[in-house]
Order: sequence, then structure tokens, then C-alpha cells
Amino acid sequence: MAANYWESTQRKHWQFTKHDLAALRQRLDDEDPGLVQMFPLPQLRHLNIYFNQQINRLGKRLGVRQQAMATAQVYLKRFYTRTAIRQTNPYLVIATALYLACKMEECPQHIRMLTQEARSLWPSDLLGHDPARVGECEFSLISEMHSQLIVHQPYRSLLGVQDEFGLTQDEMSLAWTVINDHYMTDLPLLHPPHVVALTAVLLALVLRPSANATAAGGGGSAGAAAAAAAANAGGVAMAATALAQAQAQVQARAAAIAAAGGGGGAPGFGSQGSQQQAGFSQGNSQGNSQGDGLAAEPKKVTDPRLAKVQRFAAWLADSNIDVEAMVDCTQELISFYECHEQYNDKHTKEQINRFVKARNLDK
Amino acid sequence: MSLTNPPSTATGPGSVSAARTQTLKRSVQAAFEDPTGRGTGSMGYQSKVRVTDRYKVIGFISSGTYGRVYKALGRHGQPGEFAIKKFKPDKEGEQASYTGISQSAVREMALCSELNHGNVIRLVEIILEDKCIFMVFEYAEHDLLQIIHHHTQQPRHPIPPSTIKSIMFQLLNGCQYLHTNWVLHRDLKPANIMVTSGGEVKIGDLGLARLSYKPLHSLYGGDKVVVTIWYRAPELLLGSRHYTPAIDMWAVGCIFAELLSLRPIFKGEEAKMDSKKTVPFQRNQMQKIVDIMGLPTKERWPLLTSTTEYSQLSTLQPPIHHGGHHHGHHYQSQRQAAAANAAVSHLEKWYYNTINQQTGGSGPGSGTSPLASLGAEGYKLLAGLLEYDPERRLTAAAALQHPFFSTGDPVSANCFEGLKTEYPHRRVSQDDNDIRTSSLPGTKRSGLPDDSLRPGKRVKEG
Repeated sequence: MAANYWESTQRKHWQFTKHDLAALRQRLDDEDPGLVQMFPLPQLRHLNIYFNQQINRLGKRLGVRQQAMATAQVYLKRFYTRTAIRQTNPYLVIATALYLACKMEECPQHIRMLTQEARSLWPSDLLGHDPARVGECEFSLISEMHSQLIVHQPYRSLLGVQDEFGLTQDEMSLAWTVINDHYMTDLPLLHPPHVVALTAVLLALVLRPSANATAAGGGGSAGAAAAAAAANAGGVAMAATALAQAQAQVQARAAAIAAAGGGGGAPGFGSQGSQQQAGFSQGNSQGNSQGDGLAAEPKKVTDPRLAKVQRFAAWLADSNIDVEAMVDCTQELISFYECHEQYNDKHTKEQINRFVKARNLDK
Repeated sequence: MSLTNPPSTATGPGSVSAARTQTLKRSVQAAFEDPTGRGTGSMGYQSKVRVTDRYKVIGFISSGTYGRVYKALGRHGQPGEFAIKKFKPDKEGEQASYTGISQSAVREMALCSELNHGNVIRLVEIILEDKCIFMVFEYAEHDLLQIIHHHTQQPRHPIPPSTIKSIMFQLLNGCQYLHTNWVLHRDLKPANIMVTSGGEVKIGDLGLARLSYKPLHSLYGGDKVVVTIWYRAPELLLGSRHYTPAIDMWAVGCIFAELLSLRPIFKGEEAKMDSKKTVPFQRNQMQKIVDIMGLPTKERWPLLTSTTEYSQLSTLQPPIHHGGHHHGHHYQSQRQAAAANAAVSHLEKWYYNTINQQTGGSGPGSGTSPLASLGAEGYKLLAGLLEYDPERRLTAAAALQHPFFSTGDPVSANCFEGLKTEYPHRRVSQDDNDIRTSSLPGTKRSGLPDDSLRPGKRVKEG
């Protein structure tokens, strides 16, 4: 459904387990093992970083909104679960994904304008490409995605919980950056948008936005959060503790329910409503005062920050959010930030361009 | 587009008898046949399924600016009948090329793939083949335009009240589903409301529909003009910047009125866009509304004064006032009385005239009108839907709770329940002008000549 994630085609058809995803990709590789051998590609995460950057570069040139770029990222991921990368010209697919996403997100771009921008951005990769090629590729994209083009993004969920957790401006923008970064991972194909959004909130709470990371943010979108993560081993530990705490509470409550003989109910959310609300109001009042402290004296925030994280954990335990999914999400993001350190733009680009040129996909 | 594709000639696989294909009439099937060579090359798009392999086209239903609709049967035992909507490819010169899919087609494909409700037309599949888009829907034997048309045939006879009630309930139910999912239909009118032979009402044609949840641009920015003129809500006519699901509810009110009277209630003439593409004030349409509803006032509609065309209202004629003689009071009170009169709604009078005028028998004086049974609740529902202020207008959810549906006979899920007669089936023609050369824009429809007189929707793609 258009407004309801639980009834959406995204949940029904485009959310995979890691195992499913690996099997899909293996099948694509097996279609033409010779091709895979002839043109080695960088690890998928590095490839994703590169694709992400290219979408953002084209999007920025055209003045496209974040939401449309995010949708294009998801289209690209969906498409490449069904089509082998080496069979395509990724630059054409990127341009087309953005063209289609702009229409879906109600900020359409003219096909000529977009093709022109794409060609001047990647002059040697789209040599023989005219708008008709984008139009044709659009058919491939829609067909492979079974016309399931409505994408639920974590941004909306994030805005929805901003007040609930009394998130400060800094925390919001860090969470926003984490969501931007998650498009460089497989997470959009693995977890629902609200799980991603809540993970981003947790990371924003534990990873202190540092001044130099914000300054470096202009270079790459992953810059800010990656730097924060690297400088913040303590924060990561805090996130892990919070999630473990939430999980323990859920399990304890499930055990209590089972012991009391209350069968059938899903664990973790019984008659906790009043308790939960009390937690909220407290969280709001303290959240505000903490925001002030954060701006003035970064060093003194450790305690209120911890309190905020603990309230978040308590809220999680009382919700029916899949905490295990959040644990997985957190691990993916942390390991992505580590892997981002080794990313080599030039090397990645060369490997892509090799098969594009060799197979005449640019013509 | 692959350069290796030879430009194809207009003759399809049947070119053995080239002379015969010169005839103007071609089989409907030809419209589905391959106009070009198949895509080649590693990036060439090639459909995995062919529409003619999966469906047997049995006739032409209608055409519009978007393309054409055909009736079809499944070739592989798919149960039921199908309506296949073929979007015409944009063409440049002789050879069709990929020029990018229109935004409205993209919206319709995406929304129909996502939606799933008994009162919204069901999409079966979408086939993208040879630069054309084929959307395969479940087939509906009737639509409200056709049903209304049938009742205007001599002897003119009203639609049975149980049918009206069931249609309205199902229509509102479909609207509620769309609106709770943030989908605005934006083109509700009798021709777009399908009815199956089992009496199920299905909202169709989501070509103008879009999501209203946090749009990136204001809804006004994209498509400047929405909703066919006769069903266009006053806030749209007055150029309001933000509009809501309430625009669909006004259209539902207009459809309710039309089911009662068998004529469009506000049958205005559309003012065309001028050469500068500025949207003109739809004076004639607004006047038709005022004639029955009275002039809107800021007491009835607080945000009225902030609409862009507010100043135009003073140039409209107050509704023609019947009866009510004035006595010779002084000037001031006469003016007040005139202003008050101008705002008076004549909808109640219109309603009772309508339900009492229509007779069920073969002429006047053959007993009371069957519509009289719809009573006062019918008026209240109508007035709630045709409320000037969009914020006070009934929502789909509220309308479903209206006493209109809980008083009298229970509402049937089959709008034809208890009817002795069957409505004529949709006319399906066997001939089709060659879609490859002659698809001029315009609305044609098999079997309903008067449809061409109805105004079409006009949308400027943003």
C-alpha cells in the first residue's frame, strides 16, 4: 500500500534475507562465469559507494531533491538483484534510475536535459547515448522492478520520531547523514525503513557529532558519520549496550508472560502503555536541557547522553520493534564505516570502465 | 535504441497480402502486433512476455489522449475477461522511439501495482513491449456513464434507489481506501467509475491520481489543472493552492446528484487556456455552481478570502431568486436582503424537485416517484458532499457513517440486486483504425456517441 509499509510491495517483494540476496547475486554470476572472471569488480560495498556518489553528483547538477536521489539508489539496488552489472552500462542505469525516480517523487526532469547532464558528467562513458537510450533503459528498469516503484524511505520515519525522543538539531542531522549513508549498503534491501531510521537515531545519540567531521562532510556524504564512528569506539559500545539492554528486557518480559501463562501474545509489548508514556515526558524535558549543554560544552554531555540512550533502550523494549534487526543494522553500518576507510575511488572507477569499454557498452 | 534495428514498415507479419492491408479497417489484433524489429544488443530492451502470447484481443472499447483500451481473453486459462489499456507511444515522425514514459503513466503503473481493494479496479499485470505499455486490468461490463445514459433513453426512468445507495456506498468505500492511503484520485466522474456484471463498483483510471503525503512540491505546482470541469471542486475553480482529498468528495457529490437527475448537476463550459498558458478563471462553471448552491461566503467558508480568484466572485450573478416578494423597506435593508438571498442555497429545492419529478411508470401521474424513498437523509448526504468549505465537506469515512446508509433497506454489495432488467453490455467494436498511423488525440468510445460531447480532462504535465 501506498501509505502503509506493512501492505506495501516493498515489504512483500523487495525485502530479502542476507541469504536470499547472496543467492540472487550468485545466480547472476553463474549466468556467465567467464564474464565474471574476465572483469573482476571491486567488493560490492565499494561498488555501492561509487554508484551512490555518481547518483548524487548527477542529482546535484540537476538540482534534484534528496528524496528522489534516495529513491534512485533503491531502484539501482533492486535492478542489480535481477540483472548482472557487467551486462549493463552502470552510468546509463544510474541516469535512468534518477530520471524515473524524479517522476515518481513528483519532481520530473526532462529526458533531454537529464541525458545532456549525464553525458557532460561522464563524457567518455556515454559516448553514443541519446535520450532514446535512457527511454529504453527505463523500460528495462520498470520491467525488472515489476512496476513496483513506490519506495518507503527512512527519512519519513525519522521525522516521525523526532519529537518522541526530543532529538536536537545536531542529533537529527547526524541521524539524517546515517540514513544517507545506509544507501551505500545492502540495508535498504534487508530491513524496513523504520528499523533503519531507529538505528540512525541510536547512532546519532551515541556518536557525538564532532566539529572536524562536520567540516569534512563536504567531500563525501559518508565523511561525517564515518569520522564520528572512528573517533567514537566508546559510542559504538554504548549502542551495543543499549540494544542488548532492550533485548534483555524484551526477553525477560516474554519469560514473565510465559511464566504467568499468558500465551499467544507477541513478546515485549503487553500492558506497558502507561509506563511507556511516563518515560516519554521525562525524556522530552531532559532532552531539551541536554541539547543546550551539547552546544556549549561537548565534554560534559556524557551523562545526559547516557540517560537519553537508556530511555531510548527502554522505549525500544516496550515497542514491538525488531531489536535483533536493529542489532544487525548497527553492525552493518559500523562495518561499512570501517570499510569506507579502504575505499579507493580511482581503482573502483577503473574496474567499471574496463568492462564498459571492452564490451562497447558506452557506444 | 539500438542502431541495428531496421526501421520497420507499417506492414505487420500479414504482409503476404499487402494489397489487402491497404483497407482502412484492420483487425483489432493488428494493434498489438509488432511494429518494429525486436531490440538487440546487450542493452536492448526485450520483453520477456508478449501481450499477444498471453491474451487474445476480442475488441476495441475506447480511446483517449493516453491511448486505447481493448477487451481481451486470456490464452492460458486465466479466468475472466480483461481490459487492456495500451498507452500510445509518443512518436516522432514515422518511427516510434523511446522518448520517456509520461509521468501520468508512471504514476498509474506504480499506484495500480500497489493498490488492492474491492472497490478499486484491479491490475492484473503490466507488459512493456515494443515501446508500448500494456496495462491489463480486470474487465468491468459497465460504468456509471453508461448506466446513466441507459436511463435517459425513452422512456426516461430513474435509477432504482437501492442501486443508487449501493453505488454510493461502494464508491465512498473505494474513496476511503484511496484517501487513507494518501492517494488523491483527482479525476472522479461517471465514466471512470466501473461496475462489474456482479454489481461491484470499481474506481478506475488512476492516470491523474497521485500520493498526497508530503509532496516535494505543493500539489498546485505540478499539474495546474485537475479534474474534469463539471466535477471540479470550488476550491480548485477559485485557485486554492493547497487541496486535499476533499476535491474527490466534491466530485462524488456531483456523481450522486447525476445518479439522481441523470444529468450533470453543474454543467458548465470550460474556458480554454490562453496562449500564455495561464489558467483562466472558470467563470461559467463557477456560475453553474452558484446558481444552485448560492454564492459562497466567508461565514460558510472562512478561508474563502485567501483563494486567488476570490475577487472574481463579485462578478458572478447571484442565483435567480424565485418568489419571496420584497416589501418597500428602505435601501439599506434591501441590500442586506439581496446579499443574504445571494448566499442562499437552492440545493434542497433542487433535490426535492429531482426526486419527486422522476416517475417510475410510463408517464406523469403514474404514482409517486421511486426516488422519494431516499428522503431527507439523501439531501443531507448530498449537502454534506457539496459543502463549499473543503474542511467542512464530508470525508469518505464520515460519509460512510451517514444515516443515509443505515436508514431504510440495508445496502447491498451488489448494486444490481433485485433488478429485473439487465443493463446493456459494453459495446465492443471489431474494427480499429490502424493504431500505428492514425491515433489522433480525442475521446472516442464504442457505443456512446454522447461521450465525445463531454469535456475531457486537461492536464499540463509538469
